[in-house]
Amino acid sequence: MEKKRVVIVGGGAGGIILANSLNQKDFDVTILDKSDTQVFQPAFLYAAFMGKEVPTKKIPKLIKKGIKFKLDPVKKVDLTNKKVFTEGGEYAYDYIVVATGTMSDASTVSGLKEIDDKYGDYHTSIENAQRVWKNLNSFKGGTIVLGQASPICKCPPSPIEGVLLTEMLINRRKLKDRTKLVFFTPYPRAYSAEPINNVVEPIMNERGIQIMTFFDLDHIDANTLYSLEGDQIKFDLPIIIPPFKGAKIDYEPKTVLDDDRFIKTDKFNMRIQGFDDAFAIGDATNIPTSKAGVGAHLEAKIVANILQGKEDKFDGRTNCPFDLGYGKGTFVIGSYDQPVVPYPPSRLNHFEKMMMEKIYWSSLKGTFDFIFNLYFRHTDPIKLNKKFSK
Amino acid sequence: MSMEENKIFVDSRGSSCPGPIVDLAKAYRNSKVGDTIEIWATDKGIKNDVTAWAQKTGNQVLSIEDQPDKVVVIIKILKR
Repeated sequence: MEKKRVVIVGGGAGGIILANSLNQKDFDVTILDKSDTQVFQPAFLYAAFMGKEVPTKKIPKLIKKGIKFKLDPVKKVDLTNKKVFTEGGEYAYDYIVVATGTMSDASTVSGLKEIDDKYGDYHTSIENAQRVWKNLNSFKGGTIVLGQASPICKCPPSPIEGVLLTEMLINRRKLKDRTKLVFFTPYPRAYSAEPINNVVEPIMNERGIQIMTFFDLDHIDANTLYSLEGDQIKFDLPIIIPPFKGAKIDYEPKTVLDDDRFIKTDKFNMRIQGFDDAFAIGDATNIPTSKAGVGAHLEAKIVANILQGKEDKFDGRTNCPFDLGYGKGTFVIGSYDQPVVPYPPSRLNHFEKMMMEKIYWSSLKGTFDFIFNLYFRHTDPIKLNKKFSK
Repeated sequence: MSMEENKIFVDSRGSSCPGPIVDLAKAYRNSKVGDTIEIWATDKGIKNDVTAWAQKTGNQVLSIEDQPDKVVVIIKILKR
């Protein structure tokens, strides 16, 4: 039997885990990306607020032998004619998996581009994260404002993680009495999912962080943020998470994209709406779950199973580590049919988050699959909700 | 987008994190005055959230309906 050609668009966590999970006896796998380097993005947080290094690795070093990698930016995906058009040429496929992630787009909020260029952010690049670190270190007092510029945020815990780590830094630099820390969010509370908000909001209050809810950023002008709801915040140092959209790639048909360029995807079998031979995974999709590495990981495994003839279905599991500062952490654990667990903070949770950085690169090759499987069983939200939900 | 008044449908069933309020905030951003937003959610928290949201943003909740398998909320956008 002839091998099936699988084209994977995007060499991030999802694309690479999928490629490494496919059996090469039956599949001829090609990964296309506009960059040949993968960045461990969760480390942006620690670069911005602790001055740490961000680990990176070359994509060809992360994939198993036999998988092809092409450094060739994709311009168009033609789902109707089963072809991918790149800057360098075109690729025909039997199956396509879109794993293009999400990209920031500061231009959608007036005044944000200038702020982002000047002050950086901790979601888009190593340079931008380093700029935040530099600004925080030269800060002498005043108002620091931190929040997300749109309802869509890659890694939903990260806004609160950022403000908690800012507080820790300001406290250690003995600037607390000269600093006002303001956190803004478009939601009715600091964290959108209520059970975990009940865990983190008291911690924010305790540390003197002012929370502005229902603050959906409309525009920025003269060191002031203005919300759609009509409120304002004046600032001295802004740390703003830019809006996120889907990758700038054209699709045929265009109707597979939503208003924010995310791909309309079946939330159970990861198929792109209307196509049996096309899948999307990770941040690129519009499925109702968090944009985070864990989704890309689990969805890649689902698609690998489906392609290899095994029935499988994504349950919407999230498992997002949440740094609370001062060496403690929690996790945001939930699924399509289980509400988020009010998971108590601990040092062990924080340690687990730190361990992820150590095992990340090997986890892409499947080396730790058995540990992950054990872990996911152990932290099943049904079990945890019985234990921790009142 | 056309200048006509639109009906925006949001299927947020299954969203526990980040939750249906995120989908509502997203739809609000892409809406204009006169539009209606219909949101389906399995997370019952949407009921309180949508009421508080409408009060804060000056928009109108037309209906909140508890169905066996979901909550259906319809909102009219009066202010942007």
